[in-house]
Amino acid sequence: MHPRATQHSRSEFERVIENESELTAGVLIEPGKSYGFFTDTTLCIGCKACEVACKEWNNLPADNLGLTGQSYDNTGALSANTWRHVSFIEKAGPCGVRDNEQAPFQSGWLMMSDVCKHCHNAPCLEACPTGALFRTEFDTVVIQQDICNGCGYCVPACPFGVVDVSTLDGKAHKCTLCYDRLKGGLEPACAKSCPTDSIQFGEIGALQERAHKRVEKLHSIGATTAYLYGTPGAPGATGDLGHLNAFFLLTDRPETYNLPAAPTRASRRVAPSLLSGLAAVAGLALAAAFAFTRRD
Amino acid sequence: MARPAAAHDPDDKPEVPTSAAEHGMARRGKWQGPTYYGRPQLKEAPFENWVVGGYIFLAGLSGGSAVISAIADAAAGREQAGTVRRGRYLAMLAPTLGSLLLIYDLHTPARFYNMLRVAKGTSPMSIGTWLLMAFSGFAGFNAAAQMLSGWQPRWRRLHGLMRAVQVPAAATGAGLATYTAALLAATSTPLWAAAPRALAVRFGSSSIAASAAALSLGERRPRGRRALDTIALAALTTELVATAASHRRYRQAGVAEALDGRSGTAELLGATGLGALLPLGLYAASLALGGRGSRLSSLASVATLAGSLALRISIMGAGDDSANRPEVSFRFASPDNLKRVA
Repeated sequence: MHPRATQHSRSEFERVIENESELTAGVLIEPGKSYGFFTDTTLCIGCKACEVACKEWNNLPADNLGLTGQSYDNTGALSANTWRHVSFIEKAGPCGVRDNEQAPFQSGWLMMSDVCKHCHNAPCLEACPTGALFRTEFDTVVIQQDICNGCGYCVPACPFGVVDVSTLDGKAHKCTLCYDRLKGGLEPACAKSCPTDSIQFGEIGALQERAHKRVEKLHSIGATTAYLYGTPGAPGATGDLGHLNAFFLLTDRPETYNLPAAPTRASRRVAPSLLSGLAAVAGLALAAAFAFTRRD
Repeated sequence: MARPAAAHDPDDKPEVPTSAAEHGMARRGKWQGPTYYGRPQLKEAPFENWVVGGYIFLAGLSGGSAVISAIADAAAGREQAGTVRRGRYLAMLAPTLGSLLLIYDLHTPARFYNMLRVAKGTSPMSIGTWLLMAFSGFAGFNAAAQMLSGWQPRWRRLHGLMRAVQVPAAATGAGLATYTAALLAATSTPLWAAAPRALAVRFGSSSIAASAAALSLGERRPRGRRALDTIALAALTTELVATAASHRRYRQAGVAEALDGRSGTAELLGATGLGALLPLGLYAASLALGGRGSRLSSLASVATLAGSLALRISIMGAGDDSANRPEVSFRFASPDNLKRVA
């Protein structure tokens, strides 16, 4: 427990505790530093507290009240109204039936709380033609709702299928990494509510260091398939995306969790495409000049 | 794969996670690995395909018309005055109808002016906004001046100014005819992103072909028609080569499966068959027949215009199909494609 926590023995408070994140996440939130999430899927128990906390704090409406029939995942996917999504992977043996004999660690179940990755070179931000998408002082990526005109170009730009345009208000929405909470010195709602610390909030450098240690630990106890997704040089941080501010520890290949193995930075394709097109038109214009001057 | 994390260096190559190679991910062909209940890994672009496809067509038609009109004026002057005039009028389609289509497709249309808040080189939509603004100014001036000079002889003194203004009009017009391909290519939608160069050549040459076709329909003099039909012939040939190149890239990148659906059929039959191959033959026959082939030329022009529209709409639809199919997007986002697409 943080020593400052002893000053708050009651569970009801008249006002927000100053720098509360220091107590709950062990990190001070200061502008100019990079913050993000480390989601350790080996700790996820699929309780969906993150989904609920996110919906409550951000006042997000429900997406779907039905059952999908896809394990315990009735949320389905990240959307304009769902900024945390817990995926459930039931590992089947041959013939689609689970084996009676199961290995001791994470044998039949994989669970992962998915979220916006807040990419270092964010394709959605680079694609936004209005400047509604911007990088905050906490190195996170946020859509300004009073600017967005719902052009929807950020949606196909995202290599992770995160951003979505809401049919309710005609604006693009996604996880803000609780920009408002960070400004008030509070840990993001999902990380704070996570009962197993599968979602850890913190300063990127420290989180990455912690994550590497965790992988080492898992390897040493025999869980050799553990690896990081979204740290520099790892899968997910490919194609000039830099690193992902929200990164993951996975134990199976990325596609199992509906993540791409090698996403790319879309804006890298602007210049080659534009220049090739212009060259073609220039060549045809030259041909046109010949056609118009030809004497026959 | 089972490597201690301490050995991880940022300069290391991205490691391929568990069993990726043995599942055939690195090989050409179909996706063999898992998907998440077959759910899409990406979100399709929330564009109305007929509206945005229609705009891309009009942008190509207008931009191409400005280019051909300027070249006709510079190369042949008074001899091609009709084509020059019609090209200047045709260039007004994108600034007028095209702009309306763009605003209509916004999910919050009342805020369309927020497009003018920033200028961003990483966003083809921002590049396109400013191209369209500049083009509208140049093309608008030329169309207005053209109309005035036809209306009253004293406005003919504007001709010199029009000749000057048509240069930036043609330059921004060339951009308008091709930036839309960069707009699609600079996304994570597999089919659009798989062939950035070939798609742009396709869009650019289809634009020139459509503009030449439209201007040929309005031209009665055999001589003028011949020149325009020759341009259309060259553009359609370029388009077919680019089409073949793009399909080769689709197969290499493993996204060709996205063309299995209705959009793919429309692309093959509508855009390539009826819209490029057929008019190519008709234009060639018309040119060979000389003055007697004007009907064939008209037919070819109509097919070219329809094919140019079909190309844009079918590519929009096939892109959506590729985003909605996880086996296509996972295959596209596999490490062996990094060199091709990044």
